[in-house]
Amino acid sequence: MSEKILEIKNLQKKFGKFEALKNITFDIKKGEVFGFIGPNGAGKSTTIRILLGILHANGGSAKIFGKDVWQSAVSIHKRLAYVPGDVYLWPNLTGGEIIDLFLKLNQQRHSARTDELIKQFDLDPTKKVRTYSKGNRQKVALIAAFSTAADFYIFDEPTSGLDPLMEEIFQKNVMHLKNEGKSILLSSHILSEVEKMCDRIGIIRQGKIIETGSLDDMRHLTRTVFVLETQKPLESLSQLEGVYNFKPVLDKEGVNKATFTVDSENINSVLEKLVAYKIISIQSTPPTLEDLFMRYYNQKEGSR
Amino acid sequence: MRYNLFNQTGYIIRFYLRRDRFLIVGWLILIVGLMGGAAAKFDSIYGTKAALASIVTTLKTPAMKAMFGSFTAKPPYTSAIIYASEMMVFMGLVFAMMNIYFAVKNSRTEEDNGTLELIRAHSVGKLSPLIAVIIELFVINLINGVLIAISLEFAGMTGTDILGNCLFGLGLAAFGFMFGMMSLLVSQLANNSRGATILSYLILGFTYIARMLTDVKNTNYTWITMFGLIEKLEIYTENNWLPVLYMVLSALLLLFVTIFASTHRDVAAGLIPTRPGRRNASFLLANPFSLILRLERISLIIWTCGLFVLGISYGSIFGNIGNLLKTNPSVAKLIGSSAIKSSNHAIILNFAATLSVVFAVIATIPAVITILRINNDEKKGWLEQIHARGISRSNIFFSYIAVALLCEALCLLVALLGMGFAGMSAKDPVSLLRFLRAFSGYLPAIYVVSGIAALFTALFPKIQNIVWILPIYGLFSMYFGNLLNFPKWAKQLTPYGWVNRVPLKEVQWNNGVVMIGLTLGLFLISYLIYSKRDLLES
Ligand SMILES: Nc1ncnc2c1ncn2[C@@H]1O[C@H](COP(=O)(O)OP(=O)(O)O)[C@@H](O)[C@H]1O
Ligand SMILES: [Mg+2]
Repeated sequence: MSEKILEIKNLQKKFGKFEALKNITFDIKKGEVFGFIGPNGAGKSTTIRILLGILHANGGSAKIFGKDVWQSAVSIHKRLAYVPGDVYLWPNLTGGEIIDLFLKLNQQRHSARTDELIKQFDLDPTKKVRTYSKGNRQKVALIAAFSTAADFYIFDEPTSGLDPLMEEIFQKNVMHLKNEGKSILLSSHILSEVEKMCDRIGIIRQGKIIETGSLDDMRHLTRTVFVLETQKPLESLSQLEGVYNFKPVLDKEGVNKATFTVDSENINSVLEKLVAYKIISIQSTPPTLEDLFMRYYNQKEGSR
Repeated sequence: MRYNLFNQTGYIIRFYLRRDRFLIVGWLILIVGLMGGAAAKFDSIYGTKAALASIVTTLKTPAMKAMFGSFTAKPPYTSAIIYASEMMVFMGLVFAMMNIYFAVKNSRTEEDNGTLELIRAHSVGKLSPLIAVIIELFVINLINGVLIAISLEFAGMTGTDILGNCLFGLGLAAFGFMFGMMSLLVSQLANNSRGATILSYLILGFTYIARMLTDVKNTNYTWITMFGLIEKLEIYTENNWLPVLYMVLSALLLLFVTIFASTHRDVAAGLIPTRPGRRNASFLLANPFSLILRLERISLIIWTCGLFVLGISYGSIFGNIGNLLKTNPSVAKLIGSSAIKSSNHAIILNFAATLSVVFAVIATIPAVITILRINNDEKKGWLEQIHARGISRSNIFFSYIAVALLCEALCLLVALLGMGFAGMSAKDPVSLLRFLRAFSGYLPAIYVVSGIAALFTALFPKIQNIVWILPIYGLFSMYFGNLLNFPKWAKQLTPYGWVNRVPLKEVQWNNGVVMIGLTLGLFLISYLIYSKRDLLES
């Protein structure tokens, strides 16, 4: 039975009358990388800020290491590292000074690992923050977080200002933490990133978690895309159970080519029936997180 | 498409004016209210010949020259002449502060926030934003000046004339505009808004002190102190327009230098370059307290030095003030030499008591700035990383408070010491220790002000700036309280008025203990509120 690092139950947060979080419930187990995805304004940052004791929840509970996030903020934070999406730092300190300060605030020191990270991320630590771009400020926070020895790492869209090269270094370091058995909460927009690194994901939309599970679990819920060419006309295919988005590709001799999607549950039964149409060629693409994402986002409220 | 240096200037001006309209109206109410309110009272206070004669004698003493500027008018005196001479220096200060505020806000702050970059990215001329600020400042000063003239005309004090009223308003407007241009130039040199503000105030302080020294020692030199120009208008007597011309010319000169400087630098960079800094944090930078101290380092040094210099400047005129033989020989002849010495001391200590309030008020400014930074830094997102580390809210909150309390105590102390040291040059000097009574007397009071600032920070983060009313009103009631016959309660509205006239009188220790208790209570309540609320976001 693996230990739970994070436990959120029915978390709610209001800003005045506006309900930013309506009902957030999910867990992160020890050693797990959890991907937290959702459109802008869905409530990812709000959730994370509650976890950090920066905002006070209006209802529900959130626990990290089994302790209440508001009550025991200080003791939780001693074993936690956090990188926000927008990093704002004191303009008249240098990057190097801030990295050291952040480490000291967690009773840690500048180590060889810190130097290595500074090199990896290609940061000039002697420059004043005033002269840094958004990406450079993000690097400061990332270096400080990665060189902090913690048990739980929270990243809130940490690569939004980084170039692809730096993104890769970020991913490499996350994988490094993962291999060390650390637990990670990664809120992200970059689906390939989440797909590559996360064991489980949670999808949030308008302040509600609408799906959690492993990527495989979710693929199960999604539709595979087929491109099919047959000898026999295949209009009737659209009537089959589990076939959606049927788009015929018109030829001179009638409809012999089409694209469509099939629910994962029905793949077997659909495939059995395809043989009867005399297949010339068939292609299938597994659903990506993108498809999944789009599918949830495009749903009108209440249609699920 | 037509594209030049001044493209869209009109649009930006309208944008600035619309955005700043409440702030502009706020300053207008403050300035015209001060001018009009005082004008309405002057006739009743200085209605009699005797009252006029006694205030003229007072205004001619060196101590009063130091505060209000030299009194040069010739008889017959009217309440309008007294009014002009009492109000001018103080209103000049207020105008300069308003101009520094808007100049820095709409040039440097705009750049720091990145707003300017957005504006420039549109089809906007390279110089348009700067020209827009210049014109905005011009408009603000002009409106203030015209409204002052109108309100003076309406107040209708004895001895006013329409030319004098116009000169009063427009003179102040020109003076303000000149300081606005100075601050705009400074904004080009400094590389952030805080630096620009500090540098502007340093220059203002420097010109103010120069004006004071020349007023007391030799008024012929007051002309060249920039600040002193405003004292040379001779309103309601000669109505001299020449200084206005000088101020406008200085403003134009500063304006051209500013434009030149701005075309020679990049957005968000200063002309004073930034050097590479430390690779690692010093061992001192290790907790919120040392962090805030480090961030406030420069301004702490500037405030401390500034107050020390201010103290020295005032102390250096003690020789002129505490010299009955010179200032009032007829009285001096009547009393014996030991009596002369003790009355000299009394005059000095009385003046020192007035100055102590000034020092106390100024010393609270850096402290209040530091306390209000709790929310300001929070809004900028600077504290998010600290909160996310193993640092408690009480640690953060009380670190700011501790830096503030330390800073104001230091500022008050050095100002009094500076005054005491420089006062040694007087013929019968007062002992240095005597001045420290003002330290023990005023420290609890300025701590209460800090406590109130903390309460505002916690309770009303959105309107926390209202707390500035305390020092502003404190300074005002100290400056004008006696001259305008303020009732006792009106002087005691702020904690500055709760202290007796130290160092002339003995320190009221029990009073101080009560104020310290009150301070502690205020901090505690503030913390309890602060610890329960959400962090602010921009
Ligand atoms: N301090 C605040 N006051 C009012 N509304 C807020 C505040 N912070 C966030 N919100 C609102 O809450 C919603 C969720 O925001 P956020 O958590 O930042 O979304 P995400 O990080 O998923 O993009 C948004 O609609 C946002 O406008
Ligand atoms: Mg966000």
